[in-house]
Amino acid sequence: MVTLDLAQISVRDANEAMRAAAARGENIELLNPDARHHLGVGLVAPVKVTIRGSAGYFCAGLSHGARFEIESNVGWGVGDSLYDGSIVVGGNASAIAGVALRGGEIVVKGNIGSRAGQVMKAGTLLCCGNASFLAGYMMYGGRIVILGDSGERVGEDMSAGAIYVGGKVQSLGSDARLAEMTPEEDADIHAFLRKYGVAFDGVFQKIVNAGNKLRYGVNEPVSRPLPYTVAEGGTYWNAKVAEDIHAKALIGRYRLRGYGAAKAVPHFNDIALRLDPARIRAASDALASVNLKTKIGDRNGAKPLELSMPVLIAPMSYGALSKSTKIALARASKLAGIVENTGEGGMLPEQRAEAGQLIYQCLSGRLGWNIHDMLRADALEIYISQGAKPGLGGQLMAKKVTAQLAAVRGIPEGIDLRSPSRHPDIMGADDLVIKVEEFREATAYSKPISIKMGAGRVRDDIKIAYKDGFDFVQLDGLQGSTGAASTEVLENVGIPTLAALQEALDGLREIDAGTDMPIVLMGGIKDGVDAVKALALGASAVAMGTAALIAGGCISCMQCHVGNCVVGIATQDPEHEARYEIELQAKAIARFLESVRWQIATLTKALGHSDFRQLSRADLVALTPEAAAITGLPYEPDYHPEAEELLTEVA
Amino acid sequence: MCGIAGIFFKKSETGGALGRSLVNMLDGCQHRGLDSTGFALYENGFKGLRLRFIIDEDAEAAVARIKTVLAEQGAKLLSEKREGASLVVEVEYDGEIRPFAYAMEHAAKLVSIGSSLDIIKDVGTARDLDRIYGVGAISGSHGVGHVRLATESEVKPEAAHPFWATGFSDVAIVHNGQITNYWKMRRRLEARGFEFRTDNDSELIAVYLADKLAQGETLELALEQSVDDLDGVFSFLVSTKEGIGFAKDRLAAKPMVMFEDDDLVAIASEEVSLNRLFPGQPLTTAEPAPGTFRTWSR
Ligand SMILES: Cc1cc2nc3c(=O)[nH]c(=O)nc-3n(C[C@H](O)[C@H](O)[C@H](O)COP(=O)(O)O)c2cc1C
Repeated sequence: MVTLDLAQISVRDANEAMRAAAARGENIELLNPDARHHLGVGLVAPVKVTIRGSAGYFCAGLSHGARFEIESNVGWGVGDSLYDGSIVVGGNASAIAGVALRGGEIVVKGNIGSRAGQVMKAGTLLCCGNASFLAGYMMYGGRIVILGDSGERVGEDMSAGAIYVGGKVQSLGSDARLAEMTPEEDADIHAFLRKYGVAFDGVFQKIVNAGNKLRYGVNEPVSRPLPYTVAEGGTYWNAKVAEDIHAKALIGRYRLRGYGAAKAVPHFNDIALRLDPARIRAASDALASVNLKTKIGDRNGAKPLELSMPVLIAPMSYGALSKSTKIALARASKLAGIVENTGEGGMLPEQRAEAGQLIYQCLSGRLGWNIHDMLRADALEIYISQGAKPGLGGQLMAKKVTAQLAAVRGIPEGIDLRSPSRHPDIMGADDLVIKVEEFREATAYSKPISIKMGAGRVRDDIKIAYKDGFDFVQLDGLQGSTGAASTEVLENVGIPTLAALQEALDGLREIDAGTDMPIVLMGGIKDGVDAVKALALGASAVAMGTAALIAGGCISCMQCHVGNCVVGIATQDPEHEARYEIELQAKAIARFLESVRWQIATLTKALGHSDFRQLSRADLVALTPEAAAITGLPYEPDYHPEAEELLTEVA
Repeated sequence: MCGIAGIFFKKSETGGALGRSLVNMLDGCQHRGLDSTGFALYENGFKGLRLRFIIDEDAEAAVARIKTVLAEQGAKLLSEKREGASLVVEVEYDGEIRPFAYAMEHAAKLVSIGSSLDIIKDVGTARDLDRIYGVGAISGSHGVGHVRLATESEVKPEAAHPFWATGFSDVAIVHNGQITNYWKMRRRLEARGFEFRTDNDSELIAVYLADKLAQGETLELALEQSVDDLDGVFSFLVSTKEGIGFAKDRLAAKPMVMFEDDDLVAIASEEVSLNRLFPGQPLTTAEPAPGTFRTWSR
């Protein structure tokens, strides 16, 4: 056994020593823990860990296989995303005990705080005392056993799994109901209690999902989609407005759709490059002479992502997209020497194998989130929001929740899946910093950690991102696409991509952050010309979602949410997916990315530079008063944006 | 977006450790906010009233202005001292506090007025402030402290916590959270003659409590009403000449944990701060229930 004294060494050193000891199969004892955070985080080994005292936040979080024993109390999120193993807490556990539990067993001898088992998926959480409010909030599976009383709103918006309460139930949560318990269930719980030496001779009440709220009722009519540009047609009562009213008269609720905003807002088209046309012809060899290589993510000493050009694939979920599409995107990103992103809903082994470099995204529902894929990833990303639906959670229709998809996400098959609008353990900048630290501890400080944010209060949010130590920011504007969101939000919530970038840059300048934390801009970036404009304004790179999908066969029907995508992209239906030719589309996406590379190189050179980092605001003019007002660029309406035409000419 | 801590010594003779205890508690949760740190300390042995000001640009003019206004207000200067970013004066004054406070606030950046309260706050960490202001050596009966990660308002010494309940000597608050009906409440209080120095929502809590106390309410009643009147997520500590108290919103989204024995009460955002008082000793702690408040006083 190895004994580590936290009065002598830091948590980081202790965790490292624990990993080393565990690798040798040695048990571990921690002295003087004094409620420090992140103890035993990310430990993957079947050893015993005894903590002699109290532990802080995320004790034993993201671990797999170990048996933890904590003699006294634990802070927030004990056993966060535990994959398997056991945790026994001698005292009380604070809020969100067993958050995102993926398997294994947690036993708390005392009381547990609020929101225990939030978004848990499997395994058992036992509380021998009383539970505070909202136990089992939005849980997807597994069981919670409370021997004492449960606080208000137990089982609120749970989708599956069960909660057993031995004492009083103060009140049931919305969409939760009492259910009959079978003798087998009762016997199983008692066997569990015996295993941990816990005596109980009361009677349990069982709480499950009532199934009233998490169903969509009437489906939206699948109408012949009207092209999105119609929304901006000259007339007020146009065909699109009428179609929308008809649909709502049938379904009586908001509508869902995929794709980006259909609203015309100031964008990169309203900015031109200050380009001497004569130069562009001379720049045709630019690919060989302009440096487009860049690295991002080493602000805190992690191994950075290496990009052959300042372009990334935007995070898009396996779920919204088919597995075949994710594979094609991964393959194309490797061909182009750039980075792919898992998006929500976990990492596919095929995607990991095909992508050269892969960012692994962590969302509020922690769907599919686990330590093994974190260790396989090249970077980790905390999703706060996205431009298409800032502040909202995600929706995935039951039709798309197939057996395979459910297995990757760790949830039951065929449920209408909603992911929460906020993270269980990130209620503010102060919690976020502790979360980031948890991920760093779990991966030995080796991976860049980024934050994905939709454009809301960018000026404030970017400062928080900076202070919380993120390695880079993925910033998404109003025009950003989605797999499914309500049209009201898609069109009306958030600020345009241009404004988002400007506010971010202003915010960073206000706190003298310099260029320490790169910004990857996305939301309606169509090609290399838009990319050059974004880079000149101050972004360090751009990401593309919709453009990459279109390059790979998307027909822009905007019905991604339905799941019947005829080209096999936004679907989980094997028949539709069979139409998607992975190799063909991967090559098409890669060719498109090459065109982007060529555009960036050529324009950079034509503007007189040899490295894309030399692009600056001096290379730009605004063509409309709105774009000038947003960006502060000089307003030169008579400037002719010839660059794009010229480029096609040269091509 | 912050960490908070408070300590109340039940027997004043144990209060020698006040400054040291709060420095250690805040150092324990400094990760919650590295921008600025602050302390509200209740000491014994002031000569008259103590006033602390933040002096940044044009120090000489500010000090001169303070002295002029003190004289105008009929406050007799007993002592003065420059310390870090601040000026500390002790005065003899026995008039009404609120008009005096507002007059002084117009003269310079006033941080606190107290017959036993001294608020020390600045950009930097608890260790930084200890070094500059000697906080660790200060003895007293109780106090509260705060570490701040600025989200919406600026990083300046005066935007750090604690906030003094302007117009009420010896009342201070520290807060973790976000008050979402800030502007509505602020306009209401402004209409009643209160003035605000920052856009920080925590200042609102201080002024809100000052208003309640001005109406003759007890601190308990003021805290009870705050849970209903304030919207948002919050955990805050309040301190008065007699003791300390807390209030916590109904969503309980902001953490708070406390420890109590025969000698002291300690409250903090995280248990790690409480454990700093008792290294190597597992504690029996409790989390205040959502939507509750409590006070301890002598
Ligand atoms: C089908 C689809 C699925 C998406 N899924 C995610 C996701 O899981 N996580 C995320 O951060 N953004 C997601 N997004 C948003 C994109 O990452 C990105 O913000 C947006 O698409 C960028 O705008 P663009 O499509 O105009 O390039 C998704 C977008 C689409 C089209």
